[in-house]
Amino acid sequence: MSNLGEITIWLGLIAIGISSGCYWILNSREDDTLAWNVARYSFTGFVAFMTLASILLMFAILKHEFIYSYVVNYSSRDLPLQYLISSFWAGQEGSFLLWVLLGAWLGIFLMHKSGEMEPQVMFIYNLSNLFLTILLIKQSPFKMLAAAPADGQGLNMLLQDPWMVIHPPVIFLGYAAFTIPFAYAIAALWRREYDNWIRPALPWTVFAFLSLGAGIIIGGYWSYKVLGWGGYWGWDPVENASLLPWLAGAALMHGMILEQSRRKLRKTNFILAAFSFLLVIYCTFLTRSGILADFSVHSFQDLGITGWLVFFMFAFLAIFLWFFATRVREIPVSEKGAAFSYFSREFGLIGAMIILCLSAVIIGVGTSAPLITRVLEKTSKVSTEFYVDTNLPLALLIVLLLSFVPLLAWGQNDFSKLSRKLIWALLGAVVSGIITLYYGYPGMAVLLLSIFAGAAVGMNLQLAIKLVRKKITMSAGAIAHLGVGLMFLGIIASSVYDRSEKVLLPQGTMEPTLGYELKFSGPKFVTEPRGVRLDLPVDVKKGNIEFTARPDIRSENNPDGQGMRFSRPHIRRGLVSDLYISPVDFKPGEEENPSAGKQLELKKQEKIKMQDYEITFVGFDVSGMMGQKEGQDVSVGADLLVSYKSGNPVTVKAIITKGQEDWSASPARLPGPVEAYVTLTQIQASAGSIVLDYQGPASGQDKAVEKTPPAFIAEVSIKPGMTVLWLGVFLILLGASIGVARRWPQ
Amino acid sequence: MKKSYVIGGVVIILALAMAMYSFKSTLTSYVSVSEAKASNRPVQVAGIVVAGTDRYDLDSNNLLFTLREDGGDEMKVEYDGPRPGNFDNVNKVVAIGKYEPKRKVFLARELLVKCPTKYEGRVQGE
Repeated sequence: MSNLGEITIWLGLIAIGISSGCYWILNSREDDTLAWNVARYSFTGFVAFMTLASILLMFAILKHEFIYSYVVNYSSRDLPLQYLISSFWAGQEGSFLLWVLLGAWLGIFLMHKSGEMEPQVMFIYNLSNLFLTILLIKQSPFKMLAAAPADGQGLNMLLQDPWMVIHPPVIFLGYAAFTIPFAYAIAALWRREYDNWIRPALPWTVFAFLSLGAGIIIGGYWSYKVLGWGGYWGWDPVENASLLPWLAGAALMHGMILEQSRRKLRKTNFILAAFSFLLVIYCTFLTRSGILADFSVHSFQDLGITGWLVFFMFAFLAIFLWFFATRVREIPVSEKGAAFSYFSREFGLIGAMIILCLSAVIIGVGTSAPLITRVLEKTSKVSTEFYVDTNLPLALLIVLLLSFVPLLAWGQNDFSKLSRKLIWALLGAVVSGIITLYYGYPGMAVLLLSIFAGAAVGMNLQLAIKLVRKKITMSAGAIAHLGVGLMFLGIIASSVYDRSEKVLLPQGTMEPTLGYELKFSGPKFVTEPRGVRLDLPVDVKKGNIEFTARPDIRSENNPDGQGMRFSRPHIRRGLVSDLYISPVDFKPGEEENPSAGKQLELKKQEKIKMQDYEITFVGFDVSGMMGQKEGQDVSVGADLLVSYKSGNPVTVKAIITKGQEDWSASPARLPGPVEAYVTLTQIQASAGSIVLDYQGPASGQDKAVEKTPPAFIAEVSIKPGMTVLWLGVFLILLGASIGVARRWPQ
Repeated sequence: MKKSYVIGGVVIILALAMAMYSFKSTLTSYVSVSEAKASNRPVQVAGIVVAGTDRYDLDSNNLLFTLREDGGDEMKVEYDGPRPGNFDNVNKVVAIGKYEPKRKVFLARELLVKCPTKYEGRVQGE
């Protein structure tokens, strides 16, 4: 038994294969009891094997079995328990296993909840799991080394954060869950039952939206808290990879709600369900195939699964297109008779869906730019302005819709009855507009965005309060939409009105920065298992606020001798704005004792630094030895090239003279405004080197020790609106959670 | 219903037209050092930070370093932005910006850094 883990994954593959086969049989022979049993038991077997494989990997990590290359690459003996656990999904192979595992567990619920549609739903769902398991075999986390090293390479320090422990499981739960609406959509087409899939699929869609959204937000929060660049979203391909299916999923969710209430958009929802699932695979392809390696901060390397991913994507696209094309004529369309009003909830929802899809398409095109341009000409990428410029008008439209659509009922609406209720939206718009203008005119588009976002907040706040009082389960939409408005306000505040300054903080000196008084109280070195942590405490004062900020720079020595350095910011959170202190650099102090003559030994052509001077020994000058008569003094010179404060080098000649009795030398003055001298005291002609006696500028005075204090260079920023932003995204998730709870099948 | 298609269509076309325009104007090609020096458009160049050349200029608050690409060509890079948190342990950087022929320096407005070995899997060392 060489590799239990890989055998387990193979057994899982066989189990899921058998289960898929039986569900295929059940599609035509629904009362085949044997097939039912085999299908369900082998799926359960698949779940058991994947769970076992995960337990094996987890044990290998916890017990430091460094015979596995995955364990070597992502963990080490000194890691605390929580980071040993997160080593499981720190790498590509392990995160695939996690994805399969979560998909397997969700499948258990799906199998028992999908009722009549089970054969088709589970067949499609199994197909997706089958593919993922094949990928897992191609890039197994159980690859073994010839010999186990004594210790592993450890986990990237940036990932050693509690949020990074939970971020991947939450993201992959979302990824796995997006398979479910797709499986339901195909099953509905397959069974030609076009109306029954929305009800069971909707809670899963909201769940997938919730989970992926939570993962994205955790990622952004981690980026803000740990990376120290001060931002939370960088439009990096890896970030976009989770945003794309999320936006498509949001559109799908709204479409399903519309279909459930109004029997509209049947075809659209089939397409959107396919679109959001295919985007999950497409984005996995983008980030894991290595094609974006030069364009992303953290692209994965190609582990030889690119071909499989492309095949996977086209296979599912083909399955969808085949079912859709063969049935599209049968799918009932909404009754033509029902008058369509622009001033209705339907219109708002369709508008929101169009905007969400447009945003997904645009971000998708931007993220795929290297792929698109590779075919055309030079491989190129778009800059972040592309995403900002294109999404700004879409954001504007979204908050505009959110400021009045929640009031509208399905079908016809009477404006005169509603106008009174718009007072809240109006109030929000006015307040938000005034606050924005008070802090400075940000440009027309952003001002409008802020006014409409304020209106959306006003409208949905009033609605949320009303609905929470009436029946809390009905308030999901209002709470989530309130969150959207707040989120946009937070984004505007933090990206338009943030102020930042880089400051040099010498130890013990008070430096006024952005209205705060900062005093660096001195560095502290703390030994850590794998390196050193440099604490850089800064006393911060403003009015009666007083605290000590503790940013730090950690350095780690790798087994391969490479030094790694990570800076961690300190964030002081506030209701209005955050104070963000991020380490840029640390300059250790220099202790100098110039009055004591220093002995400098120099080889030919060697350069040495002394205080403000750079001294180069060019060569000997032996002209003083030529043609001398007996009894006369002989002198030897050393030609030096001296530059003061990196200025132009000046030639200085230091001379030593052999008199009757002994050697004597006189000091040679060095260039520059201060008094400094060198004296040639020794010549080692054979070695080609000299010894100089250096007398610095403080010479002749008391032994005053000149000291440059250590200094800390920090980037200090004031980031307004961060609390509002986090509150906003939290409310989106809260709203989605209420939505899941309300629609969860009994 | 037809009117709504028209309005929806116009919105979509406008948005896509804007996106196309923005896409073209913000596109930065991935070029070599010599191409970057000749280009007057923003481009991106990948290479390594020549050991010991990176320093922080306190007067301008810029990060300065010399970038060397695979072929051995070098150029000075000046980056005015927050120093990437993991700048010290990169084996490869991608600088995005424009070359300033007068000052003989590449002004980067974006800097992508890649860590060796341990950030979510190894980045291929080319």
